[in-house]
Amino acid sequence: MADAALWIMVIVLAVVVVVLLGLLKRVLKAATSIPPKIDAIAGVAAAASRDLDAVAVLLTTQGYIKSIRASVLNYGGSLDAALPDY
Amino acid sequence: MAIQVAIIILLVAVIIATLAVFLIATILQLFKINAGLSVVLPLVGQIVAKTNPVNPVVDDINAQLVVTRDALENLMLKKAGPDSAGLVESLFPGEGAKFLRRVGRTGKVVNVGTVYTRGVGILAGLGRGAPIGVSHTKGPAVRDPKYSTTEVAKLYPAPPDRRDPSRNIPKAPVIGKDPVHSPYEAALTPGTRTRDAQGNKIETPEPAPASPPPAPTGKIEVAPPPAQSAPAAPTQADPPSTPGRLSAKGTRPWER
Repeated sequence: MADAALWIMVIVLAVVVVVLLGLLKRVLKAATSIPPKIDAIAGVAAAASRDLDAVAVLLTTQGYIKSIRASVLNYGGSLDAALPDY
Repeated sequence: MAIQVAIIILLVAVIIATLAVFLIATILQLFKINAGLSVVLPLVGQIVAKTNPVNPVVDDINAQLVVTRDALENLMLKKAGPDSAGLVESLFPGEGAKFLRRVGRTGKVVNVGTVYTRGVGILAGLGRGAPIGVSHTKGPAVRDPKYSTTEVAKLYPAPPDRRDPSRNIPKAPVIGKDPVHSPYEAALTPGTRTRDAQGNKIETPEPAPASPPPAPTGKIEVAPPPAQSAPAAPTQADPPSTPGRLSAKGTRPWER
C-alpha cells in the first residue's frame, strides 16, 4: 500500500514537472519578445520627437496667416469699392 | 522503497531547478524591459510637450481662415448675387452646394463653368472685353467664338491689348494750363500749315528778311491799293475769291 502511494506521488511529480516546464517556457518566451518591441518604440519615439521640432514653425505660420488675412480683407475691401454690386 | 524516494527527491530537485532557471531568465527579461521603458518614457514626454501648443495654434489658424472665407463669401454674394454658388461650383466642383448651405441659402447650383470659361462671366459682366466665346485655348469653344464678343466690341471698339503695350489706347489729353502730361507740343511754325489734308508737305517760300516794324502813330492808315494792270483784280467791295477761308492770310483787303 505504501509502495503504491509512493509510485502515485512519483507520477504526479513527473506530470507537474512537465506542466511546469511548459508554462515557464511560455512565460519566458513572452518576456523575451517584449524588449525588441520596446527598442522599436524607442526608435519611433525619438524620430517623432525630432519631427515635432518643426511644430515651432506653426507659430510663424500663424503670423503669416494673420497677415494674409489682413491682406485678403484689404483686397476684398478694394474689390468691394471697385466692383459694382449685383 | 528506497528507489521511489530517490525518484521523488530527484523530481523535486528538477522542479526547483526548472523554476529557478526560468524565473531567473524571466527576471532578466523584465530588467531589459524596464531599461527600455526608461528610454521610451522621456521621449514620449517630449512628444507630449511638443504637441501641447499645437491645438491652440491650429485653432487660431482655422479661425483666421474661417473669418477670411466668410468675408470673401459675403463679398461674392454681394457682387455676383445668385450666380455665386455657380461660380464656386465652376472653380471647385462639389463646393457650390456647401457654399449655399454655409451662407444659409437654398436653390439649384448652376455650374457657370459649363457655360462660361472660369472667370469670364465676371469679366464679361465688368465689360473688359473678355473672350466669352472661348473656353480654353486648347479646348473646344463653348459659345460661338466668332460673334459672341460683338456686344463687348461695341462697348470697347478698340480694347487695349495688354500683351502689346504699343497697341494700347492712348490716354485722353489733359486739359488745363500747362498740363504736366500734355500730349501736345508747341508748334515751331504757329499759324502755318506744314502739311496738307493728305499729309503731303507744303512747299513754303523762304521768308523775307525781317525789317523793323514802323513805330505806331496812333492813326489808322489805309494804304491805297497797288496799281494793277489786270482789270479783273478784286476791289475793296468785292467778295473774297476763296469763300470759306476768310481767315486765310492775304485775302483781306488790309492784308494785301
